[in-house]
Amino acid sequence: MKNKVLMGLAAIAMVAVLSSCGKVPQEKIDAANAAITAAQTAEAAVYVPAEFAAVQDSMKAIMAEVEVQNGKLFKNFKNVTVKLDQTLAAANQVTANAAVKKEEIKKEVETLMTEIKAVIEENTGLMKKAPRGKEGAAVLEQIKTEMATIEASVAEAQGLYDKGAYMDADNKVKAAKERAVAINTELKDAIAKVKRK
Amino acid sequence: MGRIWKRIFLLLSAMALIAVTVLLLIYFSPVPPSEEMESARKALSEAAANKADVYSRKLFNQAKVYYDSAMVNWQKQNKRFYYFRDFEKVISFANLSEEKAIEAESNSISSSSNLKSNLQQKIEALKNLVTELDLLFNNYPLTEETRSRISRGKMLLEEAEIAYQKGTYLQANRKLTDSEYLLTESFGSATENLKNYFESYSLWKKWVEMTVNESRRNNDYSIIIDKFSRKCYVYFGGRQKYEFDAELGKNWVGYKRVKGDMATPEGMYKITKKFDSRKTKYYKALLLNYPNEEDTARFRNEIEKGSLPPDAKIGGLIEIHGNGGKGIDWTEGCVALTDKEMDLIFKITKVGTPVTIVGSMTALDTIVNK
Repeated sequence: MKNKVLMGLAAIAMVAVLSSCGKVPQEKIDAANAAITAAQTAEAAVYVPAEFAAVQDSMKAIMAEVEVQNGKLFKNFKNVTVKLDQTLAAANQVTANAAVKKEEIKKEVETLMTEIKAVIEENTGLMKKAPRGKEGAAVLEQIKTEMATIEASVAEAQGLYDKGAYMDADNKVKAAKERAVAINTELKDAIAKVKRK
Repeated sequence: MGRIWKRIFLLLSAMALIAVTVLLLIYFSPVPPSEEMESARKALSEAAANKADVYSRKLFNQAKVYYDSAMVNWQKQNKRFYYFRDFEKVISFANLSEEKAIEAESNSISSSSNLKSNLQQKIEALKNLVTELDLLFNNYPLTEETRSRISRGKMLLEEAEIAYQKGTYLQANRKLTDSEYLLTESFGSATENLKNYFESYSLWKKWVEMTVNESRRNNDYSIIIDKFSRKCYVYFGGRQKYEFDAELGKNWVGYKRVKGDMATPEGMYKITKKFDSRKTKYYKALLLNYPNEEDTARFRNEIEKGSLPPDAKIGGLIEIHGNGGKGIDWTEGCVALTDKEMDLIFKITKVGTPVTIVGSMTALDTIVNK
């Protein structure tokens, strides 16, 4: 009787051990996938593309490992579970990093916007001081056109910023600033030339 | 005791049989395609790292589709009993995925490298075009539309350069294509405009020759104004003696048609009066005999043809005067020099000194090729 009880307990323990390691950790898989989707929503592919690609690749490797275990008689998902935990943490980190980078770019655009508006304002002031002569300067016509283009570009950048497309806004406002600064130098040179006279 | 040993023996035999069966099952089961899948995944990862998803999108997507098909088939096969599993399709899809990913990676590397080098050349070419546009047309009164197109072209070029520096070559390429269109098209129309302006070049050349010859013949001073290069040349005895920068009317292109058109006239004139600083607000001035006979004849012809209103006035008071050196075209049609240059020219010229104003002393081809 004692032996039968012992054998029964041993069998139950064995089943328990085998079943605890042999079940696909679906909840963890879903959680990791959800974290990757969240990273994608946070535009990780735009702001931290290499990190995002690495997380996606880890998930692919895990899913392959799941199938390796699924194909075995005695399944063991311990390693998969550990990797899923790591990938979940990494995906969350990628989301956080994307948010930080996005905020960084956003701040950069805001700074550039403030700077370019100051340069445009200065240029408008310089235009009034620029040499005009009797009938207004022909050269200033070109500068006026350039200023209009810059202002249109800044407006476009503002539109992109409002839509949350900070990377595109950043590119646009940077280019506009380059042009505005070039005009600023041109105007200052023209004024200095007249003053020298 | 003997019965117990018999039972233990039977139990162990059964267990041994089960173990052997399991081992045979495992031994004869098809090998899972983990190696092939691992290779395909790595190839995909490397292709993505080399931006195959951007520069070889079609091949990369094919590789991804093959990989996903391999995974689906693997899952399907794993649901079957060991002996009935067949991983042939999985392996085939995995191999195809790897193959396409490698191809995509190689294609991406060469495409992005070629694109980068093409973009670099294109950026340089467009920068040169902008320099040429600035040199030829910065002071040339182009239409507002053309100026706006040039300005937008320059802005797009700047944006393309920023995209290029960030390594986003496709975006840079799109911007450059738009920039190229605007700049080349503007350059074309502006050059066409310039060609029309230079139609009178042979006449200008003749006027210049006549003026220089007159200076040689009389062993005296003659003045030639080159509107395009904004230069005032002083000749003595047929040889160029002085060269000054000149500033013109705002609308200096073409001949002067009517009073108030801000154009600097073209023609062979003479100094008719000299005004010192007490008689002019422009430091010193040399009044020219504009309109001359040709100007008057052309003006009348335009009135008769109706290209000018009947009450239009031909204008006058075209001078070479001081207050120049501003670096811009600002007069109502006169030629402005610096006061220092005016002092010299005022001293050496007299009433009757020839002053010839031409569109250009240099042919357009020479200017463009410079």
